Amino acid sequence: MIGKLIRTDFMKIRRKGIWFLTVLGPFGVVALQMVNYGLRKDWFIQQDIYSWFYYIRNVIAFTPFALILGIVILTSFMASIENETNAWKQVIALPVTKWGVYLSKYTTLAILLVVSTCLLTLFSLGFGMFLGLDGGIPYLDLIKYCFYTFFASLPVLGLQLWVALVSKNQGIPITLGIFGVILSYMAYFLPDWLIWKWPSLDNQWDEPIINVCLGLAVGLAIYLVGMIDFMRRDVK
Amino acid sequence: MISLLQSEWYKVRKSNIIYILFAAPLVGLLIGIVGGSSVFPVEVNQWAGALLMMNLTYALLFLPLVTGVLAATVCRYEHQAGGWKQLLALPVTRGKVFMSKYLLLIMLVLVVQVLYLGSIFVVGIVHGFTDSFPMEIVWKSILGGWVATFPLVALQLWMSILFKSFAASFSVNVIFTLPTILAINSEKFGPYYPWAQPVFMMNVGGDTSEFFFIPWEQLITVVGGSFLLFFIGGFLYFQRKSV
Repeated sequence: MIGKLIRTDFMKIRRKGIWFLTVLGPFGVVALQMVNYGLRKDWFIQQDIYSWFYYIRNVIAFTPFALILGIVILTSFMASIENETNAWKQVIALPVTKWGVYLSKYTTLAILLVVSTCLLTLFSLGFGMFLGLDGGIPYLDLIKYCFYTFFASLPVLGLQLWVALVSKNQGIPITLGIFGVILSYMAYFLPDWLIWKWPSLDNQWDEPIINVCLGLAVGLAIYLVGMIDFMRRDVK
Repeated sequence: MISLLQSEWYKVRKSNIIYILFAAPLVGLLIGIVGGSSVFPVEVNQWAGALLMMNLTYALLFLPLVTGVLAATVCRYEHQAGGWKQLLALPVTRGKVFMSKYLLLIMLVLVVQVLYLGSIFVVGIVHGFTDSFPMEIVWKSILGGWVATFPLVALQLWMSILFKSFAASFSVNVIFTLPTILAINSEKFGPYYPWAQPVFMMNVGGDTSEFFFIPWEQLITVVGGSFLLFFIGGFLYFQRKSV
């Protein structure tokens, strides 16, 4: 059942510009580094930080905003497919369970974001090779940091999907999303327990893996709370 | 025209707009209180120091992004169940409908700015600032930031009329807003980028001899020029839109 639901969800998002945004997001992050390195290449060489280590740092510094904004946009798109045409009744009237519908939406979004993350890894690798940075290519670090950010942002995905699916007015989840972006922009000043800080992979122990574990655990918890709330609500 | 504005106001009042408007002072408080304010030397006016930091995040991300949400909200009723047909079947011209939506939007942005001003006061009280309140600088940046959003509002109104879904018009907004983070660091490109203008207009460290924090030429060419482009574009699009 889940497989079929996911397939229909992918069918519904065709030709809505969602795939375009999935590619544009990671491309945008790397494009900002193209501008950054294009303008300041000499400065990087002069400061002796023209290396893969600092390049990955630079890419990772921008990823949280792009990822959170991407989550906000994609979740809102997902919810508006049914909201706009009042199709919730029709979807729920099919021989499917409500948790199945919710799980399928979540899985579809997760797949889109994994595709984005893979593309981010590839694009950053490509541009890094083009720059000819100092030192060997740290393939593992590159993959690790790109995916760490993704796992650490799962709680935000759960929260945004929940709010987007239960709001009639999509202005509410989007305003919440703007808050999230501003919080992640100020991640340095935030306490460690706020979910919007986690994608920055920064914490007081200096161990990014803690953010990943928290992301997975709390992400699952928020997912379950959202799903249970969605199941209990009346379909209007 | 007045009655159109009244009906627009009536529609907007019933659409949870209050939560979106109050996001502005909340963001202000958040940046002002969490961000810490003791990064500046003592000689700097405490208010100006806090403002410098608050305004940056506020004008860089929040203000451009929230204009898009407001624009999508004022078009929400019309996108549902044939609202455009009903509205345009009334004895009103499309030009007037567009104008009244635009006027309502810039009024809402002004409310957002004033609420943000309120949050500046609260931040000062929380931190216990004793310096005199730099009224002139504050008004300059509040009104300047407001003027700088005029073209952004025009584009977002266009996009909100064009797209039915919030997410679509919001993604256009995001695509243009994120590069601002880099644009403001570039002396060559920054002054010509419309989405970076709120940052320059609200930057209290700027040149205080002018009426606003940016020179008149830049205001008229960049803000005025992009305003004309987006406003006329949206206006013409709406004239031809099939409803």
